[in-house]
Amino acid sequence: MSATIAPVPGTPGALDISSTPRVPLGRLVSVELRKSLDTRAGRWFTGSIVALCLAIVVIFALISDGGGLTYGDFLLVSGSVLGYFLPILVILMVTSEWSQRTGLVTFTLEPHRPRVVLAKFLAALVLGASLIVLAAAVAGLGALIAGAEWSVETGLLVNGFVVANLIGIVLGFAIAMLLMNTPAAIVTYFIYTLVLPTAVAILGAFQEWFADLAPWIEFNTAQATLFEGDYVPTGEETAQLVTSGLIWLVLPFVLGLLRLLRAEPK
Amino acid sequence: MIIVDHLTRKYGAFAAVDDVSFTAQPGRVTGFLGPNGAGKTTTMRVMVGLTPATSGTVTIGGHAYQDIPNPGRHVGVLLDASAQHAGRTGREVLTIGARTMGLPDSRVDEMLELVSLTGAESKRRVRNYSLGMRQRLGIAHALLGDPSVLILDEPANGLDPAGIRWMRGLLKGYADRGGTVLLSSHLLHEVEQIADEMILIGRGRVVAQGDKKTLLQGQAAAALVTATDNDRLAQVLRDKGVGVTVSGEGLRAECATVEVGRAAAEHGIVLTDLRSGSAGLEDLFLELTAGTQREGHPEAATQQSGQQPGQQSSQQGVHA
Repeated sequence: MSATIAPVPGTPGALDISSTPRVPLGRLVSVELRKSLDTRAGRWFTGSIVALCLAIVVIFALISDGGGLTYGDFLLVSGSVLGYFLPILVILMVTSEWSQRTGLVTFTLEPHRPRVVLAKFLAALVLGASLIVLAAAVAGLGALIAGAEWSVETGLLVNGFVVANLIGIVLGFAIAMLLMNTPAAIVTYFIYTLVLPTAVAILGAFQEWFADLAPWIEFNTAQATLFEGDYVPTGEETAQLVTSGLIWLVLPFVLGLLRLLRAEPK
Repeated sequence: MIIVDHLTRKYGAFAAVDDVSFTAQPGRVTGFLGPNGAGKTTTMRVMVGLTPATSGTVTIGGHAYQDIPNPGRHVGVLLDASAQHAGRTGREVLTIGARTMGLPDSRVDEMLELVSLTGAESKRRVRNYSLGMRQRLGIAHALLGDPSVLILDEPANGLDPAGIRWMRGLLKGYADRGGTVLLSSHLLHEVEQIADEMILIGRGRVVAQGDKKTLLQGQAAAALVTATDNDRLAQVLRDKGVGVTVSGEGLRAECATVEVGRAAAEHGIVLTDLRSGSAGLEDLFLELTAGTQREGHPEAATQQSGQQPGQQSSQQGVHA
């Protein structure tokens, strides 16, 4: 009964796949974007991030008397609020495939997993970019309210606002791929961004050798230079950013990618 | 056409699927039958590339699943109706599928109508769906891309009797139009009524396959008969060398029904009931998978088995 011969194309039972193109990447990206916003959780979380940005920027505008503030200051406030929550949004995009078990369908409709991961990553970038633009607009609103000066240092805009948030997107994506579990990924993210720098700072205060070492191995500390306006990082600082980035961003990303590509969605 | 060729999937030393080979032909419904944990789902997961095979191959229409572009347009898959985002509406679940496959949104409405999910139901979140509704949604999802091959894992789970009948009609019609249908179940009665071909699997191995007739070949014939004069009929049959035992209000004869009828006609005995008493598929199934059943041997639970002639034989329906 066990037939071992594959049917010749044209025989009954053979699938004619010659006229079916593969799913274009653009379509996968748009579907992934849709999936990130088509649940109450996704919509509310995204809306809340923008609302929170708005609230904090407006409060900042009202309590400051506008003296000496620039648009850049508001950008920094708005951007740091976004920076905290954007990675969580990205985490949800990835982990929901596992915690809600939708991966079963996603990876069946597109069995080439690297394409699904790429589509998801691009969708996260598009979503992140849209939120970055929104956050910039919110900052503008704050500057308007406070009557702040319309100036921004280019270095701050690029490094502190855009690059820092992009790093956040990649970080969220990496943690999510590595853990494939929503609560674990979010907790890990907060430990990573809140607990780790504090721990490093405390250790550094007691051990001088550790204080010197910290920027090399602790990503948050190394990133500090990004937020210092038009300050151009020295060669050493750039090297620290690269080294700590390798440990905390690239390594988890690669390991996470390997895990996701092999995992069996149950 | 689905061809599974010497497929093995091991987890450590445990073989979830152990050298399984079978073919699901186009134009037929193939039932994939086995107790819980027999390897049905794992086999289906390997088919669609979710689980890599340890050895062996599966081809669908001559291709590995991974090589089929936009596979949703060729192969409809339902592995677990509950594996949907609880926060999405039924309509949204289908819309995502349709968008991925590049189908117009009107296809979503067609499928909702096909599986009898109303407009209001389709706007509810999957979290609020009953298992039966999820199952209907899953079947709608599998049929979205108008595929020519269907792979359904336990599709009748959670459906009410009307729903099961509806699904049976749907899949039969689908196969009659030339489609290939592979459906798994642990409920024999459900599969028996719909499948043209059956694959029986136990503990990762195929224990029997074929259509119902083939499977029952070799099973000893037996007839259950009641006559106005049972004693006389018993005597007549015994004279012919047929083993007869009392069974309820009637007799159980170890021969084909036709021979009982002939004997009765020859001797002018009035029969009030005559039917086949041979062991059904269920007995065969339980017998073949006896070593793999979680309950050890089903006799323990039911105190009856086709292997023990002489015992009351009213199996049909008891296990249902």
